[in-house]
Amino acid sequence: MTEVLRTESLARAFGGLQAVAGVSLSLHAGQVTALVGPNGAGKTTTFNLITGNLRADSGAAQIRGRPIMGMKPWQVARLGVARSFQDLRLFTHMTVRENVLAATETASWFWQPGGTRARAQRQQRADAAMEATGLTALADARAVDLAYAERKFLSMARILAAEADIWLLDEPASGLDLASRLRFGQLLKDAQARGVAICLIEHNLDVVVELSNRIAFLDQGKVLAEGDPETILRDPALAAIYFGDRPQEAA
Amino acid sequence: MIAYAANLATLVAIFCILAATLNFIIGFAGIFSVAHAVFFGLGAYAGAQVALLLVPDALLACIVAAIVAGGLSLCLALPALRVRGEYFVAASLGLQMMATTLFAEAKAFTGGIGGLVAIPRPTLFGIEVGVLPLALVALALILFLTARLQHGAFGRSLQSIRDAESAAEALGKNVAAAKTLAVAFACAGAGIGGALFALHLSFVNVESFTMDQSVLIMAMVIIGGTGTLWGPVIGAIILLALPSGLAFLPFIPATEVGAVQQIIYGLAMTLLMVFRPAGLVGDLSKGRATA
Repeated sequence: MTEVLRTESLARAFGGLQAVAGVSLSLHAGQVTALVGPNGAGKTTTFNLITGNLRADSGAAQIRGRPIMGMKPWQVARLGVARSFQDLRLFTHMTVRENVLAATETASWFWQPGGTRARAQRQQRADAAMEATGLTALADARAVDLAYAERKFLSMARILAAEADIWLLDEPASGLDLASRLRFGQLLKDAQARGVAICLIEHNLDVVVELSNRIAFLDQGKVLAEGDPETILRDPALAAIYFGDRPQEAA
Repeated sequence: MIAYAANLATLVAIFCILAATLNFIIGFAGIFSVAHAVFFGLGAYAGAQVALLLVPDALLACIVAAIVAGGLSLCLALPALRVRGEYFVAASLGLQMMATTLFAEAKAFTGGIGGLVAIPRPTLFGIEVGVLPLALVALALILFLTARLQHGAFGRSLQSIRDAESAAEALGKNVAAAKTLAVAFACAGAGIGGALFALHLSFVNVESFTMDQSVLIMAMVIIGGTGTLWGPVIGAIILLALPSGLAFLPFIPATEVGAVQQIIYGLAMTLLMVFRPAGLVGDLSKGRATA
């Protein structure tokens, strides 16, 4: 499988707290990688370092061999990286359609390039993304008025419309009921089949087992283990860390 | 009486331009500037200098004013890129205070405290014209452009930045560029308003470009409704027509009109924020707390 994103020894400290302490990861096209670990393990910080929302103290990251350290978030996004946020960060006072359309419009000038043909294509992408996420009937509703699950799917619709081939999803299935979770799972499987490289932060281990091909287990800013889901999740030492039963260090 | 009404209508049209352009950055980009009078002033001085030193051609004066105010809008855009919310309000307040002092001191450009006087009557292609039709055309043009931008991709970019800047950036939007363009557009529009103001009054001085003026323009936007096309226009009409209307009420002594006006302004603002927090034209649910 083609490697599309690689990080090498990414590190970031906040004051005296070493949030990320040398994380090396690689994401591959058509593969779902889950970042698993207890709260405060450095998972979201790793996303923020990759996307340029935070500057790394040291380490490197590349997208298809191109270094991305020091790039701004919009520059990383234009290389084909889309991300979701734990708190969703929808454009609350815009409609569903406007939220999704906005994801297709990246030019910063007063108008988008390509004229009416490109505009029609962007509209089609937005329509397709709303259709895939079941939001077509809510196209004219404002994001702020949506139910929680619909907001989650709007967040996914923006990512779909952006046509990125690397997805970084921060707890995308949290709070979803079973039916919504199944729909969400199908979305990910479809994207995976199209060759999208997906990295998923998820606390629901059922979702992790069902959707991921690989797991990277993080704790205290470090990747403690990496491998297939069965191996990682059956490791009693990792399970103890995950469930808060951390072995006490010798005095 | 007709001259009085024409004067009032011209000032209303000019302040509608100011309110509409300020609304563009407050309502669509979420940039709360209390320095709009600075760019109004820059445009006024630039337009006046064109009329005094070159020709009193209104079109040339407006173009030069738009370029000067739009170009110097970087002074506002740069802090807008670094700070948000109340921090930006404080930064723009500093800019307003600094500019007021500079307007009073830079005599070569502004005429100092005394201002620029004897600005010739405006012409258009050599024919003398009134400022009212020019101001109405400029307002119509600015409202048309605002509506086009608001409902297009650029408007969506600004609104997405206003609602969730980090998410907009994560979708590939160059936030710095979009904010800079929005501020340049709004300030260029304020500059045009300034040039028309100078040509209309034939006199400008720093008193018209102080903090009070910036607050008045912001009040027009808030009372009318931020993020709406017509709200700032309604706000400007109300806030300028109100004092004129009060002056005609026989039971208010002429010496008390100013005080009554202040009380009515304050009361209107308070009631509006309680009952229509999104402004007279604004979406009622927008100002309410949401889940």
